[in-house]
Amino acid sequence: MPDIEMKAADKKEEKKDDKKTEKKDEKEKKEEPPKPPPTPNQEIKSNVVLIERAVATLEPRFAHRVLRTLTSLRKRLDETVLRKAIEEVFVKDTPTKQSLLSWLPEPPPPTEAMEVDSTAPAAAPPAAKAPAGPEPVPEVDMYLRLLMIHYLDTSPSTYGKALDLAHQTVEKMQALNRRSMDPIAAKVWYALERAYELGSELADARPLFLAAQRTASLRHDDETQASLINRLLRSYLYYSLYDQADKLVSKTVFPASAGNPQWARYHYYLGRIKAVQLNYSAARENLQHAIRRAPAAKLAPGFYQAVHKLFVVVELLMGDIPDRSLFRHAVLEKALLAYFDIVKAVRTGSLAQFQTTLAKHAAQFEADRTYTLIVRLRQNVIKTGIRRLSLSYSRISLRDICVKLHLDSEEDAEYIVGKAIRDKIIDGTIVHEKGWMECGGLKGGYGPEIGEAFSKRIGYCLQLHNESVKAMRYPLNAHRKELAAAEGAREREKELAKEIQEGELDDDEMGGGGEF
Amino acid sequence: MSLKAQYAHLNASFAAQPPDLKKCGHLLTQLKLGLIQAGLLLPQGDLNTDDLVVAREILEIGAFWSIRTQDVPSFDRYFSQLQTFYTDYAHLPPSQHEYPIRGLHLIRLLTQNRIADFHTALESLRAAATDSPYIAHPVNLERWLMEGSYAKVWGARAEAPAAEYGYFVDSLMGTIRNEIASCEETAYESLPLKDAATLLFFTSQSELLVFAQERGWEVDLTRGIITFAKKGEETMDIPKERIIASSLLYARELEQIV
Repeated sequence: MPDIEMKAADKKEEKKDDKKTEKKDEKEKKEEPPKPPPTPNQEIKSNVVLIERAVATLEPRFAHRVLRTLTSLRKRLDETVLRKAIEEVFVKDTPTKQSLLSWLPEPPPPTEAMEVDSTAPAAAPPAAKAPAGPEPVPEVDMYLRLLMIHYLDTSPSTYGKALDLAHQTVEKMQALNRRSMDPIAAKVWYALERAYELGSELADARPLFLAAQRTASLRHDDETQASLINRLLRSYLYYSLYDQADKLVSKTVFPASAGNPQWARYHYYLGRIKAVQLNYSAARENLQHAIRRAPAAKLAPGFYQAVHKLFVVVELLMGDIPDRSLFRHAVLEKALLAYFDIVKAVRTGSLAQFQTTLAKHAAQFEADRTYTLIVRLRQNVIKTGIRRLSLSYSRISLRDICVKLHLDSEEDAEYIVGKAIRDKIIDGTIVHEKGWMECGGLKGGYGPEIGEAFSKRIGYCLQLHNESVKAMRYPLNAHRKELAAAEGAREREKELAKEIQEGELDDDEMGGGGEF
Repeated sequence: MSLKAQYAHLNASFAAQPPDLKKCGHLLTQLKLGLIQAGLLLPQGDLNTDDLVVAREILEIGAFWSIRTQDVPSFDRYFSQLQTFYTDYAHLPPSQHEYPIRGLHLIRLLTQNRIADFHTALESLRAAATDSPYIAHPVNLERWLMEGSYAKVWGARAEAPAAEYGYFVDSLMGTIRNEIASCEETAYESLPLKDAATLLFFTSQSELLVFAQERGWEVDLTRGIITFAKKGEETMDIPKERIIASSLLYARELEQIV
């Protein structure tokens, strides 16, 4: 799977959380520096505060807020920023600080270390406390390490270092075993995977992930578990080990409380597995979920495109034609061009066109890992072709079928038509002596299957409704306000009713008055 | 006897013309015991590359041997043991038997109509694998089977890339005949005996008659015609229970919403 997908998926995480916690943010925004773009250091500092608060109040959502900024922050990291951050957070010289600093190359002579403090009023609480107070909580250490891994991941020369650091971090994390660290831990696993992947040794990480997954599920660490299951699935699918991936899915339970981004990925991987196993309806369902859980297309175009590519192929394999509007979507238009050509070929039922299109875009399909799925479409093309013929002719000779569908021989045509009739793709009979196919008339559209189709759609709508009801979040104690408001409204209504009752005369009077 | 010597022995007796299958089976059992003792049957961790190659070869011979003795479950076992060598120890020098064995596995899945497993197995192969004739053969067979070009499948019988493939052909033909027969039942009202025989790839009429009897077809010998009973005309039932159940469900859901 392409690199971009995961990066994009990451962005999406940020976005998702954004939406969810937007309201909460409002009240906390005041604390943040008023200057619109805070320097990376300021951001790290305020994040450290948040992490400490998360640990102190046992509220994971503060930690989530911190992690949300990870993607944007990641791009602005460099040595000096990290060094400064470490210096600021760890005021005393402790072993933790030393070990953190040892991962960074020697600094240029420090000059402006002092001035940052004054420009970051948001970071005041820890800075004030720190000199006398104890060492920051281990979560902060982990967070800084996470940032450092991401920084080291950016250049090929430090991949090895990133990997070492990630390993050390994971070990430390597991030794500490703190529940308040879970949100950060989940991210550290991701960083570890990234480090492995950049060093193209993804397979080697598997035993580590498996062991960690076991521990996480024993500790009911949903966050990490979700992240690790996705890590493992990705690693299996990367090496096309569908069998193992399928077994992993059947043996694990994906934690229901996992975040939307993790769910979206999980559904995407499931969709892939199911599609390979020819279970197209399950694949489509999963992909639909993935699309719905994924963020807006503009924020995570990579993921959005990857899911849609697979989705189009699965739709075709199910015998449906995807919506035309899908291919006009701003984000998808370019990426899905090859798939659009395939759809056109399948729609017209032309085997020749299908083959040339397939040959033309083979490289792209290989890269998208959809080639083998698309090759399977060949039979669908033939089926569509026969279907079109059966609709337009009431009787057609096998010879003509053979010519029109570019089949190799009449004999083949006979078998293929026979199979199509048996599979209920078309309605008709073959008259062998005369060598033609007679097509039955169209069925009236009033069978029980219509009811089924409707109940399927209704079921889908109901499910959507229920899910959205469940997804709603209510601020604490908000109902009191509402109650008061409702009370007020009722009061007003009463008054109004009263007024109306009393005021009927007034109205008349006023009406009367207006005429004057 | 040491493992190496036994292995050489096995190699020799398997390569002999004709191979002494009974003796091979005996040797294989012993060798497997030896492999278990050496920790090579289900290898874990880093082991000597040469040892692994030998272990792999023994299992490969075992797989071929199972096919020749028509012992399919045993082939499955050997194959799943070999999987470890093919996927987890990819750094070993590639085995020349890998593709034939994988191809055999694919054909075996086809004969059992396990199409989903077939595709899963196919997907896990490297892209280059499809160029190998051993893999291309089952892949083509599957494609033809799916689209209904049974004549091509029949024609491909002779093109099997390895002798072992022949062992699966018979059961594959059985699968195809049943497929064709079920197609004919729905697609034709009646069919002359002669044409039915060609469609089903029977060379003699007596074979066809036996087959027709198995499937319960009406054979009119004087006119030389098979007639198929039409099943399609059954009256349509209204699925009352289902409609009621779904209506009740809607009512309940609506109540929840309102």
